[in-house]
Amino acid sequence: MNSFTRTLLIAVLVLVAIVTYDGFYILPEGQQAVITEFGKPIGITETEAGFKFKKPFFHKVTFFDKRIQVWDGDPNQIPTSDKTFIYLDVTARWRIKDALLFLQAVNNVTRAQSILDDILDGTVRDLVNKNDLVEIIRSSDWTPESAGIDAQAGIDEPIKNGRDRIVAMIYAEASKLTPKYGIELVDVMFKRVSYIETVQRKVYDRMISERKRIAAEKRSMGEGQKAEIMGRVERELKEITSKADREAMEIKGKADAEAARIYAEAYNQDPEFYSFTKTLDSYRQAVGSNTRLFMPLDSSFYKYLREQR
Amino acid sequence: MIFVKSLCTGFIMAYDDQEPPWGKSKGPKSPEEFIAALLKKIKDGFADDGGKGGREGRSVGESGGPWRGFGTIGLVLLAIVAFRLISSSIYTINPGEQGVVLRLGEFSRILNPGLNFVIPMVDEVVKVDIETVRKEEFGFRTRVPGQRTLYSKDSFDAESLMLTGDKNVIDVEWIVQYKVRDPFDFLFKVADVQQSVRDVSETVIRRVVGNMGFDYVLDNRELLAGQTTRELQKALDSYESGVDIVIVQLQDVNPPEQVKPAFNEVNEADQDMKRLVNEAEEAYNRVIPKARGDAKKILEESHGYSVARVNESMGETSRYLALLEEYRRAKDVTRRRLYLETMAEVLPTVSDVYVISDDQKSILPLLDVGAAKKTIDHKAGSNR
Repeated sequence: MNSFTRTLLIAVLVLVAIVTYDGFYILPEGQQAVITEFGKPIGITETEAGFKFKKPFFHKVTFFDKRIQVWDGDPNQIPTSDKTFIYLDVTARWRIKDALLFLQAVNNVTRAQSILDDILDGTVRDLVNKNDLVEIIRSSDWTPESAGIDAQAGIDEPIKNGRDRIVAMIYAEASKLTPKYGIELVDVMFKRVSYIETVQRKVYDRMISERKRIAAEKRSMGEGQKAEIMGRVERELKEITSKADREAMEIKGKADAEAARIYAEAYNQDPEFYSFTKTLDSYRQAVGSNTRLFMPLDSSFYKYLREQR
Repeated sequence: MIFVKSLCTGFIMAYDDQEPPWGKSKGPKSPEEFIAALLKKIKDGFADDGGKGGREGRSVGESGGPWRGFGTIGLVLLAIVAFRLISSSIYTINPGEQGVVLRLGEFSRILNPGLNFVIPMVDEVVKVDIETVRKEEFGFRTRVPGQRTLYSKDSFDAESLMLTGDKNVIDVEWIVQYKVRDPFDFLFKVADVQQSVRDVSETVIRRVVGNMGFDYVLDNRELLAGQTTRELQKALDSYESGVDIVIVQLQDVNPPEQVKPAFNEVNEADQDMKRLVNEAEEAYNRVIPKARGDAKKILEESHGYSVARVNESMGETSRYLALLEEYRRAKDVTRRRLYLETMAEVLPTVSDVYVISDDQKSILPLLDVGAAKKTIDHKAGSNR
């Protein structure tokens, strides 16, 4: 083996070593890569995972997440078009759509988040400003019937947009701005919507008064029902007793009539004898102890006695 | 990778430096010795590159037995390398887990529980627990789980307070349980699945509650939970997050703390109302059945009266008629007999009988006599 072949061999080996060392990269799942040549993008973005070749040393690989990421807005008070404030916590999902553009315009995820802050906070503010409070707290498909709310509560004013449509508008608006950063907005959500402190206190007061109203109503309803029942007691009591009395009288009357008929039938056969026996009965009853009986001499009793003589 | 690289280059350099590698010695008899020799050459190769260090290495090599010491070390090293390779090609997946195999970064297959073989240094395995139900809590946090779990409830108001369709505020606490359905999606489609589950469930439940009236929410928990589950699953599917919602379970659904007393008052009023009605019903029950009984009594009595009256009249009349019949047969005698019998009956009970002549105009003088007798009688009566 002469020195030339030896040098050649070494050169080949060095080349192999270099290629082995920097001639390829592994792109894992869930990631994408941008190839740059001395910092200059050469238009290669890899999105499919696997084993990839590149020019050693010339090409630099920058990896980006391919997955959906979370943007969480800073909870904020935003004025609505009817000059009240509402407390909104907005969140969004996004992903890096164009890694090359993303690398050029944004460079890293932290900057992306702050760009999204600017875009989304702005659009949310714009659209909330244009809508009334009620539009934001209610869904678009809201109807009083679906809510189980009785119309008498006086809250069935119709809504123009509703929360979902407002969110959709924010999404549409913001989606127009993000592509130039290589970002795709997946969705925007109002995570939390609530009243601000002062309004909330007023709402609580209203709720309390509402409940008090209901409580009073229930109490007086109870009293009313009680009175009603007590009245019914009186009525039924009178009904029952008077009816019973009436029926009893009727029955007795019938019996009396029957008796009278029987008596009349019997006594009519000889009225004179009836009055005689009845007189005797009356005597029996009328004359008792402690009675003084004055008997005239011509009374029948005496008459009989005298006749006996 | 770097290790392999240096191994190769080192070996080749060693080969170059010292001409026929195993010509001098007897030649390796066993693979162990071969490896040992190889390692020795590698060592020497490095030593040559090192220059000064190499000389030292060689002097060490010359002073001791040239092969022996390195042979054992090499053997151990080889054993370690071989063991590492074999052990890293065997992969155990525990029950309830799945392994996602990435071959050179690219998804190749899913490993199921049990013993699995992978290509070492080429395949990478990521284990995902697919059986365990993951839980997210909203409005409260489990502080110490146990037989009597402790919860911390403070300062999660922002999470649990939400607006109802009738512009009221309600405090809803709930949990979401979910499982990994597709480990690949779970790992590689959404960056923070847990956060997404949280965000989406908060959004969805607020949407659903915002569509309902306050009392409706209080009364229709299952409806709320069901609708939330469906919408949540739909949203998570749209992200290809690879999770299944097991259940959305509402915990406490309450009016906010400040409003609670008023709600309790309503409940009290409700109880009061029921109490009043019960009291009235009690009075009713006490009075009316008794009155009904009394009425029946009156009726029964009247029936009794009527029967008695009729019977009495019939008895009396039949007695009378019987008498009448006899009277008709012997009118005068019967008449006299009746009269006299009556007199005989009546007169003994009478205290005084005065027989007055028809000429007597006044009976007054006689009264004194009676009065005197009566007082005596009276006295006798009271003395008795």
